[in-house]
Amino acid sequence: MASRTGPLERRKSTAGEVAPVDWEGRKAFVGFTSDDAQLLRDLRPVAEAYAGEVVEEFYRRFLSFPETRAFFADEARLNRVKAMQKQYFLGLTEGEYGEAYLRNRLEIGRVHQRIGLAPRWYMGAYSIYMQLTFPRVLAAFAHDLEKGQRAFLALLKIITLDKELAVTTYIAAGEEIITRQSQEIVEISTPVIQVWNGVVVAPLIGSLDSQRTQQFMERLLERIVETNSPVALVDITGVPTIDTQTAQHLVETITAVRLLGAQVVLTGVRPAIAQTLVHLGIDLSGISTRSSLAAGLRVAFDLLDLRVVAGAAPGARE
Amino acid sequence: MTDLLEGEIGIATESDLVVARKAVRGAADSLGFSVTDVTRIVTAASELTRNIFRYAGTGVMRWHRLERGGSLGLELTFADDGPGIGDIEQAMQAGFSSSGGLGLGLPGAKRLMDEMEIASEVGKGTTVTVRKWRRKA
Ligand SMILES: Nc1ncnc2c1ncn2[C@@H]1O[C@H](COP(=O)(O)OP(=O)(O)OP(=O)(O)O)[C@@H](O)[C@H]1O
Ligand SMILES: [Mg+2]
Repeated sequence: MASRTGPLERRKSTAGEVAPVDWEGRKAFVGFTSDDAQLLRDLRPVAEAYAGEVVEEFYRRFLSFPETRAFFADEARLNRVKAMQKQYFLGLTEGEYGEAYLRNRLEIGRVHQRIGLAPRWYMGAYSIYMQLTFPRVLAAFAHDLEKGQRAFLALLKIITLDKELAVTTYIAAGEEIITRQSQEIVEISTPVIQVWNGVVVAPLIGSLDSQRTQQFMERLLERIVETNSPVALVDITGVPTIDTQTAQHLVETITAVRLLGAQVVLTGVRPAIAQTLVHLGIDLSGISTRSSLAAGLRVAFDLLDLRVVAGAAPGARE
Repeated sequence: MTDLLEGEIGIATESDLVVARKAVRGAADSLGFSVTDVTRIVTAASELTRNIFRYAGTGVMRWHRLERGGSLGLELTFADDGPGIGDIEQAMQAGFSSSGGLGLGLPGAKRLMDEMEIASEVGKGTTVTVRKWRRKA
């Protein structure tokens, strides 16, 4: 049975893992060198001196837009986030940009993705950072503008790398959702229902690709055994196209069911589908088929030797 | 440009088959084909896109509306740069499959459509063109 991961199950996501070697590659690409690391280390005293006011200004901007203000419901939370923001800001000039740094940045990205901060605010925040730090860095290096410029470029590189990691986690989280949802669709779209003691119905809807057929076959066989049903109705009313591969899958499924000692009636075979199957040269002669589910149910009752008898409604009787 | 009656779709994954079938259904419906003919055309398209996906990996499907002597039709072309078909006559035989399939896709598509041409070169690729004409009511 495939593993089930419901939407409510908030697993701690590891989406967007970036391997250390990949991280080194990214740094090489933007040209982040050990010189840059050193320049950032030299910026540390400047960062410490300005961290408080940069963070204050940063949140002033965030609080002046309703979309971003919504994330800071109360004072306590705001203060907590400010403290974390300060950590982040100081982290930029930490001086160590190895694996620990990478992990920390990825986790920050995931947290923001999880709380639902849209990328435009998140990316915008980096821009605000640049605006707030640029003049301060230049002022601090007024005596050596050439170094100030290099320091600023180093800061730009590391912030760009941070941004990249954030984007990576956002995209990965989105992909994870898509994968999870498509697995869920596969599962919910192949139900097998017991409609009567001894009769299960599998209404197929949509297109039957290989993955779905596999799931469907497993589920059908399981349910037949579980419910000890001698008859299974496989209804293809909701399948728009049956090509040779779909037909082959259906025939294989039917053969597998027979091996369990049960019988299959293929129902919902519309005239257009029937004609197409003939044109394709697909041989369904060994398989019992009916045009409607109702007709198939009648076959099932016959096979089980059950009779449906019209009678007066209870209570109408004397 | 991709509108209902003319367009192109890249085939690379199994889910592209769904997109291709949907496009063909849209084109055939809007050309006024009968329900049975629409089903035939969509099924043929499904076979030929699946062959691309299965044997060549990637390729394209193109479609456009036809008009000849007052009748309307639909032409579908399936092109890939895959391994090609060495023996077309053999591939067209019902029951021949190099992949454990039913071997009914190509001959089936031919029967479902009015016209079919295959051009293929080993190592270069395969192009299958099919046409269906609308019966006059
Ligand atoms: N686009 C293609 N490129 C290369 N070989 C192809 C291509 N299309 C078909 N073939 C070859 O022709 C054979 C017959 O194709 P056909 O579609 O009739 O049957 P099949 O794909 O094997 O089975 P199915 O009945 O599921 O379609 C294939 O097995 C394959 O060897
Ligand atoms: Mg085929």
